[in-house]
Amino acid sequence: MSSDFEAYEQDFGTLTAEITNKIGRIPKLGGEEKTQLVLNVDKQLEEVRELMEQMDLEVREIPIQSRGMYQSRLKSYKGEMEKLEKDFKRSRIAYSDEVRNELLGEDAGSSESQLIKLREERAHLLDNTEKLERSSRRLEAGYQIAVETEQVGQEILANLHTDREKIQRSRDRLRETDANLGKSSRILTGMLRRIIQNRVLVFVLGATILLTIILAIYFNVRGH
Amino acid sequence: MDNSGKEKEASALMAEAEKKLKSSQSFFGALFGGSSKMEEACDLYARAANMYKMAKNWCAAGNAFSQAARLHLQLQSKHDAATNFIDAGNAFKKADPQEAINCLNRAIEIYTDMGRFTIAAKHHISIAEIFETELVDIDKAIAHYEQAADYYKGEESTSSANKCLLKVATYVAQLEQYQKAIEIYEQVGTNAMDSTLLKYSAKDYFFKAALCHFCVDMLNAKLALQKYEEMFPAFSDSRECKLVKKLLDAYEEQNVDVYTDAVKEYDTVSRLDQWLTTMLLRIKKTIQEDESDLR
Repeated sequence: MSSDFEAYEQDFGTLTAEITNKIGRIPKLGGEEKTQLVLNVDKQLEEVRELMEQMDLEVREIPIQSRGMYQSRLKSYKGEMEKLEKDFKRSRIAYSDEVRNELLGEDAGSSESQLIKLREERAHLLDNTEKLERSSRRLEAGYQIAVETEQVGQEILANLHTDREKIQRSRDRLRETDANLGKSSRILTGMLRRIIQNRVLVFVLGATILLTIILAIYFNVRGH
Repeated sequence: MDNSGKEKEASALMAEAEKKLKSSQSFFGALFGGSSKMEEACDLYARAANMYKMAKNWCAAGNAFSQAARLHLQLQSKHDAATNFIDAGNAFKKADPQEAINCLNRAIEIYTDMGRFTIAAKHHISIAEIFETELVDIDKAIAHYEQAADYYKGEESTSSANKCLLKVATYVAQLEQYQKAIEIYEQVGTNAMDSTLLKYSAKDYFFKAALCHFCVDMLNAKLALQKYEEMFPAFSDSRECKLVKKLLDAYEEQNVDVYTDAVKEYDTVSRLDQWLTTMLLRIKKTIQEDESDLR
């Protein structure tokens, strides 16, 4: 019994390998060869299904204790078969995709990728708009600062003008003071000279008077 | 604690000074060099006043300084008298504005007597400032500013004169004497145009003059604006000129919204100060009145 089952398993294995191979080749071919291959895969899938049924019967004839292992194997084989069938179906649909790509050129892409591209472009544009707004705000702020600077500059210039006049006035006054000081120093020297003259005069007069007194006394004494 | 000590010292000094003064006025004092006694008394008064200042007793300090000043007048030293009056004025500024003004006035008399007009003008400005801030009497402030400007013009310092005149103009415009304000602004503006330092402020003056014209009458404003543009080509590029043109248009169309929008736009770039807002508000009110009249 089990040897039968194993024989069936081996057949199953070879058949599934062939089918997978053929399914892989189907989308790439076209026309006559493709239809041939498709019919082939169909026949092989039928054989696989018959095998599965026989394996089922075999498993039922096995006593219950040892059935577990075979049942689980059977389940996995069933899963494999279903997968193969799905792949087979998809490979026939993929056929249409390939040809469509050939028709519309390589950049066609599916609608999904188009949506993604559109979304990206939109985000990009929003980014740009934001950057522009930020730049214009900064420019406005810069302009405001420039205007304020101009006003401050005006005030400073007015102050400088006043200070300039003050400095000029002070300079003129200083020159006047200088001239006046010169005059006063000349007057003082004049005064000093006069003082010295007076003193000399006083001395001379004093000396003359003294001399006169001495002469008077002398003549008086002489006269006696 | 330190202050009260200083005050006591100060009062002691004052008492001493008064004694000296009395002694100098008696017969013997006058014979034996009363003037030196008076000078010493002056000195003592000044020292006492400084001590009061340290103790922050402004009234007493002011009094002491005025005493010292009067003594100096008697001694015929005008300069010292005037300086002491100024010190007294400064001390009184913080306590009693009226007294301060009296002292400053006397000082100004002395200075004008001596022919020192610049300093007199400077003190006129101080008095005007007191009138502006503490005793809010705009008319007297205007009078003093005008005096100061006249003195400065006499001394050929046009810049300081212009500074005073501008203050006068802001106040008279607020008091609605637009003609005077217009004259002052035009004069200052034409002066400023020629000077390299001041030409950047010239457009500001023309702008204010145009606003004053506007308050009086719109046609005046238009003619004035054209005149200013001819005189000063750079004026037409400035934002202020553009603002006035927009306001003129809004006024012609009697459209308050356009007016407000133009003003708001100007405000976002450079803030409008108090004076400008008052004037613009007046003009706006005239528009609204005209509107309601037409209705």
